[in-house]
Amino acid sequence: MRRRVAVALATMMSALVCVLGLGAGVAHAEGESIFGFLRNAKGGDLVPVEGAKITVKGPGVNETATTDDTGRWTVEVGKPGTYTVTIDQKSLPKGVTLRNPDADSLKVPVVESQDKPVLFALGKSTRVIQSKWAQAAQLSAEGLRFGLIIALAAVGLSLIFGTTGLTNFSHGELVTLGAIIAWWVSTGNLPLSLPGYGGVNFLVAAAITLAIMGLIGWANDARLWGPLRRRGTGLIAAMIVSIGLSLLLRYLLLYLFSGSSRAYPAYRGQKGVDIGPITLSPADYISMAIAIVVLMAVAYALLRTRLGKATRAVSDNPALASASGIDVDGVIRTVWIAGSMLAGLAGILLGIAQGINFQIGFQILLLMFAAVTLGGLGTAFGALVGSIVVGMFVTVSTLVIPAELKNVGALGILIIILLVRPQGILGRAERVG
Amino acid sequence: MTTQQGSDDRPRTDSGTEAGADSGTDRGVHERAAGNALLRADEVIAGYVPGVNILNGCDFYVDDGELVGIIGPNGAGKSTLLKAIFGLIKVSSGTITLRGEDITGQKANQLVTKGVGFVPQTNNVFPSLTIEENLQMGVFQAPKKFKQSFEFVTGLFPALGDRRAQRAGSLSGGERQMVAMGRALMMEPSVLLLDEPSAGLSPALQDEVFVRTRQINRAGVSVIMVEQNARRCLQICDRGYVLDQGRNAYTASGKDLSNDPKVIELYLGTLAKA
Ligand SMILES: Nc1ncnc2c1ncn2[C@@H]1O[C@H](COP(=O)(O)OP(=O)(O)OP(=O)(O)O)[C@@H](O)[C@H]1O
Ligand SMILES: [Mg+2]
Repeated sequence: MRRRVAVALATMMSALVCVLGLGAGVAHAEGESIFGFLRNAKGGDLVPVEGAKITVKGPGVNETATTDDTGRWTVEVGKPGTYTVTIDQKSLPKGVTLRNPDADSLKVPVVESQDKPVLFALGKSTRVIQSKWAQAAQLSAEGLRFGLIIALAAVGLSLIFGTTGLTNFSHGELVTLGAIIAWWVSTGNLPLSLPGYGGVNFLVAAAITLAIMGLIGWANDARLWGPLRRRGTGLIAAMIVSIGLSLLLRYLLLYLFSGSSRAYPAYRGQKGVDIGPITLSPADYISMAIAIVVLMAVAYALLRTRLGKATRAVSDNPALASASGIDVDGVIRTVWIAGSMLAGLAGILLGIAQGINFQIGFQILLLMFAAVTLGGLGTAFGALVGSIVVGMFVTVSTLVIPAELKNVGALGILIIILLVRPQGILGRAERVG
Repeated sequence: MTTQQGSDDRPRTDSGTEAGADSGTDRGVHERAAGNALLRADEVIAGYVPGVNILNGCDFYVDDGELVGIIGPNGAGKSTLLKAIFGLIKVSSGTITLRGEDITGQKANQLVTKGVGFVPQTNNVFPSLTIEENLQMGVFQAPKKFKQSFEFVTGLFPALGDRRAQRAGSLSGGERQMVAMGRALMMEPSVLLLDEPSAGLSPALQDEVFVRTRQINRAGVSVIMVEQNARRCLQICDRGYVLDQGRNAYTASGKDLSNDPKVIELYLGTLAKA
């Protein structure tokens, strides 16, 4: 097992490096921009400010943008560099002022392929300076939310690994697919010039999305992984196939969804609700509750139901499971369907929390792998615990380390825990002999 | 009666027409005896990779209520024969029938419903499941049977009932063997395939396994038992087969085989003469 973990990790890391390298190429093609939302804080609400003028100056660029009815403005700058962004205070509507009237001009660096957000704070400062403890509490809550979302996706990843041995790099795209399909269905803006419609209630859209995700999981196993397995494709070869599939899907989604970031209309700009020092939107609280209920249901199913026990039996020993009368292919099919639906749900919740783009799933793939490895490869409960640890750690660590380094921190803790407990947090040491 | 195949001094390596001619007489015997056997294999050819046959035309049968032992040197293909019967590897030619029904190529999980049970030689428990869950997996296709079968199996192996919540991965080799046998018995099979059930056990526990196997057999289950412990196996068997290089070299009653000078010479070893 130790060796298996090490080998799996090493191959995973090297493969990720390739994928990341290739991923950078995609973003490059998109071009750089500076954008922002202008919103006035009024009695705890944020009201969009329309018609304000913002000028961006820099190498070869001198352009003025006007905010739209959502308060959004964008300037395509076209290349990396440092730009000066100035807000025309006279263009602000009556009664709207900059929080700090001297800060009407900002210098912003834009790196390659970045869409750089720039915010001008309006209205009176309502923000009370938070104590470190309050910040820690807030970040813990956000970390828990993030961890639960990772857990939803990672449990499926872990079950697929456990029952088939496949290290599925395209699992991140299942997450993205969930988020994007839900956006398509809920807004009615379908891709590929399919006829659009007015959109449907978000919960209906989410249910439809999960059904589609189930179908996608079925197709994954029935059309690709099942046939490969029956032909005796090696695990490394299968992993490479999954990397290819991941890239293919990601480019396809880039084409279909475009490179921009969007939000579900139903959850745009929800007002926060305070619980003690913690402020989260109602959607966040509901997301967490849904994730907890679903994860508990999965745990119950694995521990108590016949199919759940069969799933663990197949993870232990497929040949013996078959010899016991378990339909191994059927169990694996079910795992694929359930795993894809869980990933889709994770995608929807992630989309609600941080907006949707064509690689949100890919961005958490590394964290999913870290969580699965951390918890103990192939144990679904390990994946659950590992995800919460990773989600919390990544989020809370921004208290002390720069936000850009937070994912690196997750890998750091992964390495440390594996050095102490090579089988992972919940993994059992392989029987000796 | 001992039927022999091949030349007189050695069970033959299978090659060319010579073997074909010799096996004619043997097949005749098999044909007559296996008339309405419970489970039979005819001229089975099978292997793990295409082009490399491990079984080269194996004949074999077991009658209702019989206890049949299979012995033979390491690598003879004993485990492979059981796996071929049980649908775990592909049979490239020949037929396997159960009560007259052709079951060649059927999947293991289908055979379980038809009353065939199998205990593999290695990795024969689910280590992360508890003893009780291991036994539950045995009746996966008929969960209603659990209660009754559980009582039967824990009656046979009381230790399993006492430690039902323990993970099978933490058991000793002998305890695992009990779990493995118990799991295969849960479906109340009519024929049980055992691959070296006594391997790695202390002499006392080996005796225990043979006694239990006999007990299971007396309860009406036909048993096919592969054993390295040839002498003891032949003592309790109704009939035995000696397998060599993927074909059955000798078949006779257990007693006759263990007294046959050639078998002693080649498989039982000189100690057996004592
Ligand atoms: N999974 C496998 N893949 C490829 N070849 C195998 C496999 N298992 C066994 N073999 C080969 O098949 C031949 C017969 O093996 P088998 O396990 O049937 O022997 P056996 O008679 O059970 O021996 P033993 O008494 O040592 O258990 C061996 O030469 C072995 O190399
Ligand atoms: Mg063997």
